Amino acid sequence: MQENYLAKWLSGELSEEELSEFKKSEAYASYQKLKEVSSTLEAPDFDVDQAFQQLKDERIGNAPKVVALHPFKRFLRVAAAVAVLLTGSYFYVNSLDESVATQLAERSEIVLPDQSEIILNADSRISYSEKKWDEKRNVSLQGEAFFKVAKGKKFTVSTNQGTIAVLGTQFNVEARDNFFEVTCYEGLVSVMFNGNETKLPAGTSFVVIAGQLLESPKPNSVQPSWINNESSFERIPLEFVLDELERQFDIDVKTQNVDKNLLFTGTFSNTDLNMALKSISTPSRMNYQLEGDNVLFYAEKTP
Amino acid sequence: MFFFKYLWSTVKTSYMDNVCEEQVFSNIFKANSKTVFNYIYYKFGNEEKAHDAVQEAFVKLWENCGKVVPEKAKSYLYTVANNLYLNVIKAEKVRLKHAAPTLEHSNESPEFLMEEKEYKAKLDQALNDLPENQRTTFLLNRIDGKKYAEIAEMEGVSVKAIEKRMHLALKSLREQIDGI
Repeated sequence: MQENYLAKWLSGELSEEELSEFKKSEAYASYQKLKEVSSTLEAPDFDVDQAFQQLKDERIGNAPKVVALHPFKRFLRVAAAVAVLLTGSYFYVNSLDESVATQLAERSEIVLPDQSEIILNADSRISYSEKKWDEKRNVSLQGEAFFKVAKGKKFTVSTNQGTIAVLGTQFNVEARDNFFEVTCYEGLVSVMFNGNETKLPAGTSFVVIAGQLLESPKPNSVQPSWINNESSFERIPLEFVLDELERQFDIDVKTQNVDKNLLFTGTFSNTDLNMALKSISTPSRMNYQLEGDNVLFYAEKTP
Repeated sequence: MFFFKYLWSTVKTSYMDNVCEEQVFSNIFKANSKTVFNYIYYKFGNEEKAHDAVQEAFVKLWENCGKVVPEKAKSYLYTVANNLYLNVIKAEKVRLKHAAPTLEHSNESPEFLMEEKEYKAKLDQALNDLPENQRTTFLLNRIDGKKYAEIAEMEGVSVKAIEKRMHLALKSLREQIDGI
């Protein structure tokens, strides 16, 4: 028999077995009688309405005003919390830097407070402080952007890999994983990389791939090719070319039996995917397969 | 988003189902005052004190209506009523009425009626001899029809503890009555 079985019996929670066992015990009749008689017990009379009337007349009638204040107090507390939160978030949002970001296959143009212009390539992000712009012309960059800087105080571009400082000029910066390139199109650009300063006169590039400073090919244009919807490469490992392809078309690129360290020189269109795929695969002796958003490049001789 | 949900629920409890709302308060009174009265009466056997406990508990509830949500009002009442006489008064004899036998059954033999009367007297005595907490549990269940879980909530103990009290109450009542 389970613990507290008498209580379980009274509330009808005994199992059938337990119940029949209990019914056989000699005490059962006494308990049954106790159950029956106790159910006829009654408590002294209590008049609910009269008690309520008494409560209202004698006790509550005297002090309703004190009570009425409570909900208002709580409302004030809530209101104060809201006010603090709103003020706090207003100042917080205000102190935040302005920031602009582009998605894959997207471009954006930004005009800074001093009329300097930034064109942001795909999958890139810049941020700057609009409030402190007059004191310090500083832009943080992840990804790639072309800068046309209005003449004025020193203008700096901070990236994870290096910092570029100029006075007034046009230049392109690309700072991505293992890839850092600065090309100066006009004026003079100073690049700080690993604590060394390099001066780039107009028409020169500074390229670092996987930490290695490469011989810089000279650009033969007045602005980066991507401004004109083309991506140009000069002796750049295929890996970074394919990364750019992914960014420009928002596609997923895979390779099979392809040496991604091969250097690629050429240009692909940023608007026509089929043309772009041909532009990359033909000089690299690769074939490709396009299925939806997925592209597979494979070596020509793969059986 | 969650923050606003919380705000809304706070505002809602402040204004909508608030115990300060007279209708809500009066419903709570009508549903619980009789049981509060019985609860105190079973414990101390004093009707006057039980009446006072009802008044006292509901005044406290009204004074704190902004702080007590309706769902907690019930256990709040029992806590207040219970604390009121904690260690203050001595239990007196609990007197309960027995429902009058219905007419159909009144053609019993005089011996039988006599036995019934004796039995009830023994039961009354045995109930008064029970420890206060066992008597309260037993009577809340038998007279007010409260489930063990409800009694556990009123007394602020586990359901298991209530089952234990009930078991012991039944055992000693039976032993007293049968003279074991």
